[in-house]
Amino acid sequence: MSSILTTLSNTFFHHASWKGYWEPVIQRFVPAWRDGFYRAQVIDVSMLNSNTAALTLLPNKRWPVHIGGQHIGLTLEINGRLITRVFTIASDPMTFKQTGTIRLITRIKRDGLLTPRIPALEKKQWVNISAPQGTFILPHHNRSMVMIAGGSGITPFIAMLKTLPPDNALPITLYYFAKENEHILHDELASIARTLPSFTYHLLTRARHGDVEHYLTQHPNADWLVCGPAPLYRQVIDLAAIAHSDVHSEHFGATPTLTSHTDKATFELLYNDRTLQVDSEQTLLTQLQAQNIPVSYGCGIGICHQCQCVKKRGVVKDTRTGALSDSAEQLIQLCVSQPMSDLELEI
Amino acid sequence: MSNETMTNYDKLAAQLDAVKHDVKQSLGQRDADYIRRVIFAQRLCEWCGRILIMLGFIQPLLWAIGVLSLAVAKILDNMEIGHNVMHGQYDWMNDKHINSRRYEWDIACDGSSWNRVHNYEHHTYTNIIGKDRDFGYGLLRLSNDFRWRVKNLWQFATYIVLSVLFQWGVSYHEMAAERVFFGKKKENRKNTMTHNELKRRFFSKGARQLVKDYVLFPLLAGPLFLWVLAGNLIANLLRNLWTSTIIFCGHFTGDVQTFKQEDCENETQGQWYYRQALGSSNLEGGNLFHVLTGHLSFQIEHHLFPDIPAKRYRDIAPKVRAIFKEHNIHYNTGSFARQYASVVKRILRFSLP
Repeated sequence: MSSILTTLSNTFFHHASWKGYWEPVIQRFVPAWRDGFYRAQVIDVSMLNSNTAALTLLPNKRWPVHIGGQHIGLTLEINGRLITRVFTIASDPMTFKQTGTIRLITRIKRDGLLTPRIPALEKKQWVNISAPQGTFILPHHNRSMVMIAGGSGITPFIAMLKTLPPDNALPITLYYFAKENEHILHDELASIARTLPSFTYHLLTRARHGDVEHYLTQHPNADWLVCGPAPLYRQVIDLAAIAHSDVHSEHFGATPTLTSHTDKATFELLYNDRTLQVDSEQTLLTQLQAQNIPVSYGCGIGICHQCQCVKKRGVVKDTRTGALSDSAEQLIQLCVSQPMSDLELEI
Repeated sequence: MSNETMTNYDKLAAQLDAVKHDVKQSLGQRDADYIRRVIFAQRLCEWCGRILIMLGFIQPLLWAIGVLSLAVAKILDNMEIGHNVMHGQYDWMNDKHINSRRYEWDIACDGSSWNRVHNYEHHTYTNIIGKDRDFGYGLLRLSNDFRWRVKNLWQFATYIVLSVLFQWGVSYHEMAAERVFFGKKKENRKNTMTHNELKRRFFSKGARQLVKDYVLFPLLAGPLFLWVLAGNLIANLLRNLWTSTIIFCGHFTGDVQTFKQEDCENETQGQWYYRQALGSSNLEGGNLFHVLTGHLSFQIEHHLFPDIPAKRYRDIAPKVRAIFKEHNIHYNTGSFARQYASVVKRILRFSLP
């Protein structure tokens, strides 16, 4: 039935899906109803500290349950624009089965586009989420595990730890780095440690406790799980090679390497499974053409939108206004966009 | 530029850029809500129309209302939604259905082929003879830039036929059919789509539109096959006449000027704005009228700022008019009756040498 409707809407109503064709109609009766998204209702928003918010959501019934450690895309309509950001689910699947809710925890980036809006979300408001994604889950290797968390990178570990049975015998050690007094969810870690005897954790600050290296060298031949900022992640990767440990990691598109507007820099452009080198001096259209990549284009000055494509991630600069894009998925015009970070495009 | 006045092009560009910048800064929820509301109205009109047409056997008046409703739906889809969304006016919304790459309209003309010629050639080279193929559509002689031929004698009849079959005219014209089918070459024109691809799209889109309106829905009506077929035919005809009339009023009124290629080389932004201003004409009317024209009643504003959400043209028109006045640029506007009479006069005038 659904494939008949899809064919019909493709062929005669010129929409990729029947749901897409009816979306603006259904939205008038069912708020935030969107083709290709799940709906979720805001149950609660609270601040864990001055710059970290916890958001409890009630996804609609068809939402597939997640595995501890996975993430979702959260989409908000902000002043008419649909903005998506990715967050790890900081609650376990059992909680979802019992209460129907999931929890997201995020650091609020002051000049961010989406996260500053989270504390202002109202209870019962509808938002959109994606299905759970990601392969950062507990490994089943029958050997001891080391978890390395940095800042809000603690969230997937909370979700993972809560799925473990109390009789879990494999030793698990968590090193949790954060700034002084900014360790979140301390009470939950303490409660996990009480019910899970094989689990120990250490709240650390770089200033007082030193580098992660000192701790990791005590755990060769283990599974290392790391989630945190790019420098921490890179350091752990390097150490693992020496210690013969397996690394499992989660890091959402490491922060873009923004250059000042005058510096020339070279970036990697990933598109349709190809990797190209691009620089920050010329527009993407000019550079793709120079590399003989077939792209459709028109006016070359941002009027006709023929060279428009989907930027999956990365930052570009609009050559007309000098404005920087945000780093999430959005439509860009190749002819007026200069790369400002590594990019992934769908052309 | 052909018209060497004392216009300060840099100042003109700065002023118009500022108008554009203000609108772009203020784009937001109300624009997104507006276009979704129009799409909602379009769906309502379309499906009420298609159902009422099938109920014609109860009361022929229902059929007539249905036909009108379907015609309005097609006009909304083509003008206020299709034309404007495909211009990229709503791309900032980041919506996967309401954007210029994905939207496809309910008309015989394939959207991406149209985008290619219309958004690029027509909007970049507006009214430059030899570059803007929309000036007279290669069928009508509308200025002395073209040599008079005998066929121009009956060009008013040609115009009527074009209006009646407008969607097919657009479909054929906007793929640059003389290049695709008859191999006419155009210098400096890089092909971003192959001719075979253009042909495939032309036939595929056209066939699907024919099947939808003249086979699929009539068959669904069973014994009322002919009622539905006739209803759809008339709805398409009404849409064709309306769109053609509005579009002719936008570029072919008496005062609209044309330009020569050599005059437009190395054109500055200000000169480009100036040419857009002289190449377009507006229509006065009520809000519903503006919506039904897809705000092409603000053709001047549309040509200055093709990717600003069209409903905003209403707000900025007074500012644009004031700027034009300051620079002594003619702001070509008038009632529908006056502008259309001027179009008819132009078609008739240039049918004679």
